[in-house]
Amino acid sequence: MPSRFTGPPEHSRELVLTSPTIRCGGCVAKIERSLAALPEVARARANLTLRRINVTLTQPGDPLNPVLAELERIGHPGRLIDSADLSAEDKDETEVALLKAVAVSGFGAMNVMLLSVAVWSGASGATRDSFHLISALIAVPIVLYAARFFFVSAWGALKRASMNMDVPIALAIALAIALSLFETIRGGGEVFFDAAVTLTFFLLIGRYLDYRMRGKARSAMTGLQGLAVREAWEVTPEGKLRPVAVETITPGMVLRIPVGERVPVDLRVLSGASDLDRSLVTGESAPVAVATGDEVEAGALNLTGSVDAVALRPVEDSFLAMSMRILAGAEESRSTYVRIADRAAQIYAPLIHLVAFATFIGWLLATGDWHRAAFIAISVLIVTCPCALALAVPVAHVVASSRLMAEGILLKEGSALERLANATRAVWDKTGTLTDGSPVLSNAPEFSADARAAAALAEHSAHPVARCIARMHSTPTLFAEEITEHPGFGVEGRIDGRIARLGRPSWVAEIAGKACEGEGPAFAFADAPMLRFPLRENLREGAQATIIALRQAGLESEMLSGDAASAVNLVADQLGITEARGDLTPQDKVVRLQDLLAQGERPLMVGDGLNDTAALAMAHVSMSPASATEAGRAAADFVFLRKGLDAVPLALRMARRTAAIVRQNFGLAIAYNCIAVPLAIAGYVSPLIAAIAMSGSSIAVVANSLRLNSQDAVRATAPQLQEVPV
Amino acid sequence: MTILYLLIPVTILMGLTGLGAFFWTLKSHQYEDLAGDAERILHDDDTPMPPRKENVR
Amino acid sequence: MMERLTVAERQQAMLITAVLALAGLILAIAGRNDPMGVHGWMTLFFAGGLFFVVGNALYAAEPTEDRTTSYYDDPTKVGILLSLFWAVVAMGMGVWVAAQLAWPDLRFDAAWSSFGRIRPVHTSGVIFGFGGNALIATSYHVMQRTSRARLAGHVSPWFVLLGFNLFCIIAASGYLMGITQSKEYAEPEWYADIWLVIVWVSYFVLYMRTLARRNEPHIYVANWYYMAFILVVAMLHIVNNLAVPASFSAAKSYSAFSGVQDAMTQWWYGHNAVAFFLTSGFLGMLYYFLPKRAERPIYSYRLSILSFWGIVFFYIWAGSHHLHYTAVPQWVQTLGMTFSVMLLVPSWASAGNALMTLNGAWGKVRDDATLRFMMVAAVFYGLSTFEGSFMAVRAVNSLSHYTDWTVGHVHAGAMGWVALITFGSIYALVPILWRRESMYSWKLVEWHFWLALIGTVIYVFAMWNSGIIQGLMWRTYTESGTLAYSFTDSLVAMHPYYVARTIGGAFFLTGAIIGAFNVIMTIRRVRQDTHELDYPTKSEAGEPAVPVAE
Repeated sequence: MPSRFTGPPEHSRELVLTSPTIRCGGCVAKIERSLAALPEVARARANLTLRRINVTLTQPGDPLNPVLAELERIGHPGRLIDSADLSAEDKDETEVALLKAVAVSGFGAMNVMLLSVAVWSGASGATRDSFHLISALIAVPIVLYAARFFFVSAWGALKRASMNMDVPIALAIALAIALSLFETIRGGGEVFFDAAVTLTFFLLIGRYLDYRMRGKARSAMTGLQGLAVREAWEVTPEGKLRPVAVETITPGMVLRIPVGERVPVDLRVLSGASDLDRSLVTGESAPVAVATGDEVEAGALNLTGSVDAVALRPVEDSFLAMSMRILAGAEESRSTYVRIADRAAQIYAPLIHLVAFATFIGWLLATGDWHRAAFIAISVLIVTCPCALALAVPVAHVVASSRLMAEGILLKEGSALERLANATRAVWDKTGTLTDGSPVLSNAPEFSADARAAAALAEHSAHPVARCIARMHSTPTLFAEEITEHPGFGVEGRIDGRIARLGRPSWVAEIAGKACEGEGPAFAFADAPMLRFPLRENLREGAQATIIALRQAGLESEMLSGDAASAVNLVADQLGITEARGDLTPQDKVVRLQDLLAQGERPLMVGDGLNDTAALAMAHVSMSPASATEAGRAAADFVFLRKGLDAVPLALRMARRTAAIVRQNFGLAIAYNCIAVPLAIAGYVSPLIAAIAMSGSSIAVVANSLRLNSQDAVRATAPQLQEVPV
Repeated sequence: MTILYLLIPVTILMGLTGLGAFFWTLKSHQYEDLAGDAERILHDDDTPMPPRKENVR
Repeated sequence: MMERLTVAERQQAMLITAVLALAGLILAIAGRNDPMGVHGWMTLFFAGGLFFVVGNALYAAEPTEDRTTSYYDDPTKVGILLSLFWAVVAMGMGVWVAAQLAWPDLRFDAAWSSFGRIRPVHTSGVIFGFGGNALIATSYHVMQRTSRARLAGHVSPWFVLLGFNLFCIIAASGYLMGITQSKEYAEPEWYADIWLVIVWVSYFVLYMRTLARRNEPHIYVANWYYMAFILVVAMLHIVNNLAVPASFSAAKSYSAFSGVQDAMTQWWYGHNAVAFFLTSGFLGMLYYFLPKRAERPIYSYRLSILSFWGIVFFYIWAGSHHLHYTAVPQWVQTLGMTFSVMLLVPSWASAGNALMTLNGAWGKVRDDATLRFMMVAAVFYGLSTFEGSFMAVRAVNSLSHYTDWTVGHVHAGAMGWVALITFGSIYALVPILWRRESMYSWKLVEWHFWLALIGTVIYVFAMWNSGIIQGLMWRTYTESGTLAYSFTDSLVAMHPYYVARTIGGAFFLTGAIIGAFNVIMTIRRVRQDTHELDYPTKSEAGEPAVPVAE
């Protein structure tokens, strides 16, 4: 078979791009054909599932620009994915290994089951014995290969002197094989090879699904990234620009930060002035003006003017990296959470082992036949092998997570659903989470000639405040000329022959005839009165309804923000949140969460910024919007791709519904044991009954979990929208 | 039913062939983009792909 | 057609036909005192004829086309035409056989026209002649399109297609001369079996080589179904036809197995022939042409892959349900029964997958008879797999076995599923292959569809009724414990149903003839007065069903 699709990627010829606009087969065909027509491209392949494009260049080191330009032209703009992120994905070989084990055990289960059906239907004598032998030849190697996951995991747990679900599983499989081998050799009538192999098959399916869920979410997240800075522009001593990788930046290097790019490392501005959006870094909603001499943190977005700045610290000592270190500490504290299945195993495993032992002693005392006693005791262990119990949690979680994924909510791992289901309190970040980070005019000034003139000036700036003023008057009737943008101050221009300024009040006041009190940016014609534009933050879609829905679900909300207390209180009032704190550092947020945890609360943290990262990791469970920083998304348990905040109550409902299903599944598994165990102890369990009982209970659990797929699992009664006084 | 001693090995051999084929599909990344692969056959311009520009091998 | 082959390829073809002609000559001489000799002469003429056809054009101009920019469709075209030819011939035979059962005089007192000889002509003719040619032709098309690569080689596709047809001719003519090894669906004798092995191995090699040169990394699921069809049929054919010729100068041979062992092997083969010839290959057709025609991807691609493995694994052991209440041990019967019942899961998964693909495109199904062929085929697939699992239950089998119910079940599958999906695929394929905007007449496609559907329904209902009546009459006892009806009584009771069956079959045959006519007229580029689309459509904004090629 050709190896050209499987070989290792040749050096720098194979590139992976992410293009979120790939939505249908037509896009795939279009992208592949357009790219293949380029001389630089040897092969292009679009992936609809991951929304990625794999490109093989004709020559190693060919420029990528024509590819990006072509993608832009056909309406599917793409971005290069860092190879480091991809290799992190590829490293996880477990998923493939599990799938192989599923296939092998499925093959074995099929063949052994065939032979067993023959024996159960009456094959006897030499035929039966030879069928047992063939079964053994198939089952033993297959179990050794496929069930090794359980053996390894169980051995690990035993070495730590702890218990997990894999201990009884491994024991049951191993004993079933050993007993059956013994029976085969002595020509006995009943062997459990089919039970051992089908058990392995079913359990591996559950484990595989569990793994796949995590892998899928991880790949989806890789596609989202884009905030992190990969390259920066160095200004060489000769005054030329040269791209450098962020990791190679050393203190003292002079960098240029163009408009629209993020600051790669902590910097001090050398020349130029601009406004920076620090909302993802500090939570401040309003852009900050910077000029020569100011220090800037990594991660801030440059809005208005290009600046040259000197690097202060290498990337690993930047603000971003320090946040990561707080994060690592916080994550450690969470790893103490024990998943519900493991908690169940800690009770279940010793119990059944005790029962099996008691059965052995009982039968030995009653009959004195140690062979019979051992046979029955082992059949108790086989029958109680927690097949349904082991499937109870992962299958429900897999179904729930794929349902959530369809709703645009990504989930990192199953335990997050468990934790979300029992959250007791919601803790919100403000900027970028409850608000969407963009300002709106809180009190539109009267539709005056001055306001129109301000809008005409605002048209010419990319500053978010200017954008929102420009939006107020969508059809400009006035035209401004001789526009100059003064980064950090505002826009100046000439309207109807008169000089006008829009921007920072003190700067506008320099030309205004009369300064005026008030909030927000100012506008004035030269020697004319000043006009002020009071601003407030735009609430994210569904923010109010979400707070109410959570309150109805029993989760009181509070707000932790790095922004100024006045801004925080304003938003809190609008949303009816009684507890709100402003001016918090990232450390303060962590401390507050620690307090909550110490009080016995189980807080759900929702946030997006770098300053929330540690808090997200510290909280009992956490969510962040897709617009969050990479660090934020990495720390959160859930990432929602939808615009509205309704994702939060939706995920909560789904989590609670999943928890209910998991409880029912446990109920089913326990009911099964209540029937099967007495039969087994009494010695009535034949291999046929064992096979039917185990598949029956597993199927019941899977079918019950599939109910999570139904529409009404996530639909809820719409929360009452109340008018909240502003 | 001695015939089964021929039919069973033949069948198991076929099964092993299938298993081998499945392993090969895993190795050659056949299941990476099932959604895209189902769509792909619909967008067929009825010509084979142009010969690949592999002037670098 | 010859102009697409290079001179070297023409020489290669001449060499192969010369060797085959020589083999025919040897067979003719060795079997001069046996009907086998006739087959030797037939092979000689077949191969010799081809030798001269190729030789005539040996030094014609070399092909000028760029082979990397187009697919090689000539063998597909010939395969489709051969398939339609066999359909008309073999379905005609079927109607005649059915009529003979109602009116025995239709045998005209000849030996060759007796029921026992023309029935296998009908069964082999439709299964191998019609179905086999359609499978080979569509597989050539599908493997090229889904691999985005041209067929690997220009002689071997012809070798496979024409070699397979030589096998079919030898088989059918042999039955008329009384040559048979009395194994259902495996009647041809040893020399024909050996020839088929050679052809079939070349087929598999051709498929693998084409896949190996594919430009599309992913192997579309239809190819897996086709490959399973080729590979497993080869294995089944070899094992079931292990036989020792009584002499190398005559056709007669004896099976390597005896008695119940032979019966077990035969039905292990027989039922897997149903699985891998009549199901797997045609599912490959379904999974390619149905999404293509409906212009929407298969509902669940993952499910189509899972049901592939399910079908491959479950079918293997179902065969012994053909031997309920025989000398085969009880547990072997139970085994067959168990797996037959489990088989329902992957079968219904496939049928459901096909129908769910159409969910949301019912408007197209209403307007487009071609798509309706495929939709009804999927429904019949679901119905007959359910019926099959049901009939494999021993208790049900005690009533149904040896009655016409079995015949009805087989025809629900063969007419309703196999033939309808084939005709649907042919109607989807012909305009693409011959570069026509549409079929010659969509009205004739409609006629064919309704004739085929009505014919199938009449046939199947007649056989259900007659089968159940037969079964009940055979097991009705008088108070004194003797059989209430003689066998002749049951035959008399069957007569009206046999007449109905002949009528149903005639409907189906008429549809097939109309289909063949429609295809030929499409190829001859006969224009109707008005420009017609494949189907009367308003909803699809008058788009032709097939993208205008060239």
